[in-house]
Amino acid sequence: MTKTRRNLILNCASLVVLFGILWLFQEYGTEYQIRILNNIAVFITLAVSYNLVNGICGQLHLGPNAFITIGAYTSALLTMSPTEKQMSFIIKPLIWPLSVIQVPFWISLIMAGTVATVFAFFISFPVFRVRGDYLAIVTLGFGEVVRVLCNALQSVTNGPLGLKGLKPYTNLWWSWSIAIFTIIVIQRLINSSWGRAMKAIRENEIAAQAMGVDPFKHLMMAFLISAFFSGVAGGLLAHLITTISPTLFTFFLTFNLLIIIVVGGLGSTTGAVIGATLFAWGGEALRVVESPMDIGPIHIPGIPGMRMVLFSVILMVVIIFARRGITGRNEFSWDWLLGKLSFGSR
Amino acid sequence: MKGIRWFKILSVLMALCACFVSPAFAEDVIKIGAYLPMTGAVAAYGQMEWNGLQIAHEMRPKALGKEIKLVLVDTKSDKIEAANAVSRLIEKEKVVAIIGEAISGNTMAGNPISEAAKIPSVSPTATNPLVTQGKKYAFRACFIDPFQGQVAARFARDHLKAKKAAVIIDIAQDYCVGLANFFVKEFVKLGGQVVSTTYIQTGDQDFTAQLSAVQAANPDIIYAPNYYTEDALMAKQARDLGINVPILTGDGAQADELIKIGGKAVENMYFTAHFHKKAATTELAKEYIKKFEAKYKKEADAFGALAADAYFLLVDAIERAGSTDGTKIRDALASTKNFQGVSGVITMGENGNPIKSVVINKVEDGKFVYVTTVNP
Repeated sequence: MTKTRRNLILNCASLVVLFGILWLFQEYGTEYQIRILNNIAVFITLAVSYNLVNGICGQLHLGPNAFITIGAYTSALLTMSPTEKQMSFIIKPLIWPLSVIQVPFWISLIMAGTVATVFAFFISFPVFRVRGDYLAIVTLGFGEVVRVLCNALQSVTNGPLGLKGLKPYTNLWWSWSIAIFTIIVIQRLINSSWGRAMKAIRENEIAAQAMGVDPFKHLMMAFLISAFFSGVAGGLLAHLITTISPTLFTFFLTFNLLIIIVVGGLGSTTGAVIGATLFAWGGEALRVVESPMDIGPIHIPGIPGMRMVLFSVILMVVIIFARRGITGRNEFSWDWLLGKLSFGSR
Repeated sequence: MKGIRWFKILSVLMALCACFVSPAFAEDVIKIGAYLPMTGAVAAYGQMEWNGLQIAHEMRPKALGKEIKLVLVDTKSDKIEAANAVSRLIEKEKVVAIIGEAISGNTMAGNPISEAAKIPSVSPTATNPLVTQGKKYAFRACFIDPFQGQVAARFARDHLKAKKAAVIIDIAQDYCVGLANFFVKEFVKLGGQVVSTTYIQTGDQDFTAQLSAVQAANPDIIYAPNYYTEDALMAKQARDLGINVPILTGDGAQADELIKIGGKAVENMYFTAHFHKKAATTELAKEYIKKFEAKYKKEADAFGALAADAYFLLVDAIERAGSTDGTKIRDALASTKNFQGVSGVITMGENGNPIKSVVINKVEDGKFVYVTTVNP
């Protein structure tokens, strides 16, 4: 059996197992568990696509919240029913074509990604004229601009009042299928010649250029693909929490994503997945430390914010002992796993 | 090998700990969940409300002869966390009713979940009209932004005899936008005229451009329903520019910082509010204020008072329903009439929005002074 064939079989088998587990949760799990699983999937999509620009291309991009915002608003405005829109827009009515359109969820997700990509296309010209800190500042600024626009364009976004009453379309199948699709697409891209060119740009842009790699073309490609998936994830997020407002998409969202990919391992998709899982699940699991506890005879009252303290400690420990994040730049592979289990076929 | 032995000892120790560590647990209690922003951007609101809730719980610790247990879950002032929190309260803690969140955006994230689970929720301070719109199990203890804006307009016309108003709106806050818009509608309806509308953003420091426009329009009153920081800075700059017309604002101004930052400039600033100690006439309010001041050594604030009202409304509804069934509590809540709460007399109106009176306060000699009460 060749290696490729073996890997293909193992990949398919693990997908079946994953969806089997999801099915079990769907059937027997509680609403709370399903919600956390959905959060994990959305954050995996966000982190993996964000990692493409930050980890693989090595550009400190601080504006994914802009694309998530655009995606969330696009898909939300497309799936809301005209009556719901009329009820929600109490200050200024929604402008015409948007006020009557209602499309199925999957179209709205594609549109969310597309609109985010279009914005990314236009913003990429000023963004990739600069590098390093300056690129960080330009993208950060873009993120803020989008948020402020959401506040100001009341006849499109309902301003700070936000949108509500979205149908909870995001279920385990949607969120996990898209997460897995994102991982596959981005992983294929990273392992292609384009991906290698992106890594070359990360290591040394001038050397890459000397070898005939066009940095602008490759960076823009990564940026657009990243924006597309961020937009789709934004749409998923909007339909998961069923309400959005500009306050959801502040710089803190970007900041959380940055933590996820740095802790997971900058430049590693596996790391991004692990980081996202730990972040979305860990935050809830650590709630235990905030509730009142009795350890033997000692009563400890609940202290809100304790889990943030613990979370910070965990982050510090990870960064001290694994400077490059949990996985470093390594990726998960079946070879590695079978090697560990020491019955790899050779 | 040494490493492995240590690892074993450690895991045994941890397992032992796990046996002893168990969440405080009591049988046969009524659990009421609270999801509040105890950390994050609006942590101050969450903490004030939790203080109020604890006093309320001390005053009425029982319903239907059973102990009531308050379960607090933090939302980090975040929507995703707020949704998780409500899910957790319902499924892990099995609460019969929910109090929260402090701000509208997060309440809108939590509401749909409790709605689907048929668990009634009462938000102390989510004033955005969309929060309870179209929801059967969602209630609140505060009045909504449109109502506060309308009352401000009536006060401006009837008491301050203003004909021309200038409106300054913080467009980054749903609260400010809501108030201002409904003020304008009502003010125009009552025969007034809005001569200037200008916009600011939370965090702005310089309002000269907006105030110049206001000055040129020569209004009788400035309506600036914004938060205390912007209100105080704006008042200062307005007085420096020689604009001496009265300033009217909303309950976002009710914080000691307003006076600290604004000093002399905020003297005679009027604001509509949910609560003032002097306006509190009910027995419950008197008892609450006494207990609050004894425990925290400071004046009772509106956030705490509204949180306490949310709790009292729920306890009252549970008592009247005679059951902890979600639908029955909901029906009892919806039929609340003339409830003598801390922040005034509450009757539950349409859409889970209470009908209650608005208190008007003003700043005098560096203190918030009660002016009058406007009834609905």
